[in-house]
Amino acid sequence: MAGHHTARLLTYQGIPVWRHIVVIQWALQVLSAVAVAGLVFWFFTNISNAIDDRDIPYGFSFLERAYQTPIGEHVLPYDSSDTYAYAFLVAASNTVVLAIVGVILAISFGTLIGIARISSNWALSRLALAYVEFFRNVPVLVLILFTFYIMLLLPPVAESYSVGGRVYLHNGGLAVPWPTPAGQALPALAWLALAAAGAAAGVLTHRFLTRREAVTGHVSYPLTAGIATALGIALIFWIVIALLSGAAPLTIETPAPTGRFSTIEGGLHVRAGAIVMLISLVIYTAAFIAEIVRAGIQSVGKGQTEAALATGLHSVGVLRYIVFPQAVRVIVPPLISQCLNLTKNSSLAAAIGFADLTNVAITMTQTAPAISIFLIIMAAYLLMSLAWSAIGNIYNWRARIVGT
Amino acid sequence: MVRFLALVLVLAAAAMVLTACTDNGDPAPENGDMMSRLATVQERGTLVCAINTSLPGFGALDDDGNNVGFDIDQCRAVAAAVLGDPDAVEYRPTVAGERGPTMQAGEVDLMVRNTTWTSVRDATWGNFAWTTFYDGQGFMVPASLGVSDPLELDGSTVCVLQGTTTELNLEDFITQHNLNIRVTTFDDQAPLSEAYLAGQCQAETTDRSGLTSVRATFDNPAAHVILPGTISEEPLGPVVPHGDEQWYDIVKSVVAILIYSEAYGIDSRNVPTAQTGSRAVDRLFGLGDSNWGQEDLGLSQTVAQDIIRAVGNYGEIYDRHLTPLGLQREGTRNALWIAAPCEDCPKGGEIYAAPLR
Repeated sequence: MAGHHTARLLTYQGIPVWRHIVVIQWALQVLSAVAVAGLVFWFFTNISNAIDDRDIPYGFSFLERAYQTPIGEHVLPYDSSDTYAYAFLVAASNTVVLAIVGVILAISFGTLIGIARISSNWALSRLALAYVEFFRNVPVLVLILFTFYIMLLLPPVAESYSVGGRVYLHNGGLAVPWPTPAGQALPALAWLALAAAGAAAGVLTHRFLTRREAVTGHVSYPLTAGIATALGIALIFWIVIALLSGAAPLTIETPAPTGRFSTIEGGLHVRAGAIVMLISLVIYTAAFIAEIVRAGIQSVGKGQTEAALATGLHSVGVLRYIVFPQAVRVIVPPLISQCLNLTKNSSLAAAIGFADLTNVAITMTQTAPAISIFLIIMAAYLLMSLAWSAIGNIYNWRARIVGT
Repeated sequence: MVRFLALVLVLAAAAMVLTACTDNGDPAPENGDMMSRLATVQERGTLVCAINTSLPGFGALDDDGNNVGFDIDQCRAVAAAVLGDPDAVEYRPTVAGERGPTMQAGEVDLMVRNTTWTSVRDATWGNFAWTTFYDGQGFMVPASLGVSDPLELDGSTVCVLQGTTTELNLEDFITQHNLNIRVTTFDDQAPLSEAYLAGQCQAETTDRSGLTSVRATFDNPAAHVILPGTISEEPLGPVVPHGDEQWYDIVKSVVAILIYSEAYGIDSRNVPTAQTGSRAVDRLFGLGDSNWGQEDLGLSQTVAQDIIRAVGNYGEIYDRHLTPLGLQREGTRNALWIAAPCEDCPKGGEIYAAPLR
């Protein structure tokens, strides 16, 4: 009875294998794994074959060579004799600074718009709605170019608008007074480190006093005490370092027109490209964040607001102490994805001449293999995105509802 | 039901992988191993040509939206040669920074896009088929600045186009002369021009012909001066992808035909169709007994007639597109080296190609 024998062989736990749930599930898993692996393998062999066939240069040895090309603006010090690897870092730091400042501004601005959106003031909420609907539906590149052309309407550098000879605004940028090390960098760095430690001490003081107040009811003005601690430490070390080194660690440097073209030198000079990118990315991203904030606030049950009002809290207090802490759990995950978007949208900067990571990388393709360069910047953007995700995850973990 | 669908999906994916793998095993005809580029172009019926659309005189759009210019006519000449129709060109607008990857990927048959011939590009992008325009990098400044020499630009901001040799030369210039110049890099000409006109940068730098072309688009060209002198050598010409020598030779021959037709005094109005008595002219136009290699290149015997009738000779192309910009030719390097009959050779110019014989 061969037939019977085969049927016996093809059973598992008494059920034919083609109908056994465990077998089917395993088979599906294996099949999909094979399919994915096959696809990945195919992509890679296809790429490497194409690279070989067409003699496309590839490799990473260029990273050690001197880049020898200018980078328009840079937060980190840069010289054209620096290597490609360092030039990548310089360009990435431009992107990172733009992204961090942009995200802070976009969240602040977007939150205000989001709250305005559900304001009981009809005109305010309609205005916020119009803002959201308009800017969510404009392509970000169009917005960047539009802001760029608006910026160009400002006077050229030689005819800058000046505020008391201290702040200069022109179509090439904005220059403001900025603290800079007077002499050597060391005293300035030492003071900055100690001031940062002071700020941390201030935060800890605030936290300790708040807790004590909550537990014992002992009134101690935690906010004032925290700020006083931070400022006090900063001031004490300022005096100590000034006495030790014979000069104030930082002096305020005022920008001033210099040279034949009256270009503004000194102070902090934010260039037009950075300003344009910042304004357009913030305006654009804030529209999305506003909707996220609105949705988050509205996700908190109405009963919470009513109960809070019944305890006698004023409406700002209701938002601040009752609604917002609950809404934040809903807000943060999609907010993080907006942070990613802002960071990635900054790669459009080449259109208006800001030296972000992508702009510099495209320039590099002239003198180094394009595939290698794009692999590097893809990895860099991935890293930045993962950093934002990590921040989001840490927040989620801290804000999780314990015990439910 | 859901599981059934999942199974079908997975099987489909697996089948895809398997077919993909078998495809991969075949020798890939699309890589040009099997078919020459000439055959590919003729089968396709169009020539794919990477061009510029924002440099009037070289490659730009006219009022009717047609691609016109000195570079465009070189694409048209090649199309006339291999397809018999100068209009059988599929134009592929390409920004400066994309040129290398475009050529390396072999996406286009030809690129005529005011592209400087350099050793690195020759090694990595493709083969350069003669120089059709000699240029050098210069600076343009508003006349009101009163600058008369590039060295006076110390302390200024200079705008430059991304992915160009000018970007690299500018760095050499800055370092060599120890200048403090800020460089702002744009990926497209339009915002660059706007930034320059608004005074965001005090100067713009690119090839002098490019500056002349850009200046011609300004409302008040007279308010801008192109500083004397150049800081680099910029020989511009057509580029073909690596890997097909026959195709490279064809494009070189087309350029040679444009140049020698002018040298022989043949233009689009007097293309000979019967023997003229001049051995050189008859050979060039396929009317004599000898030929110049048409057959070996896979071209028709009378290909030169098609080309010159379609686009004219080098001088006509120059006069049609570059002379109106104010790019004078007489007495410059862009005059012909050769002339026939040659009474006062050389003529002093450097426009030259290998003799067609």
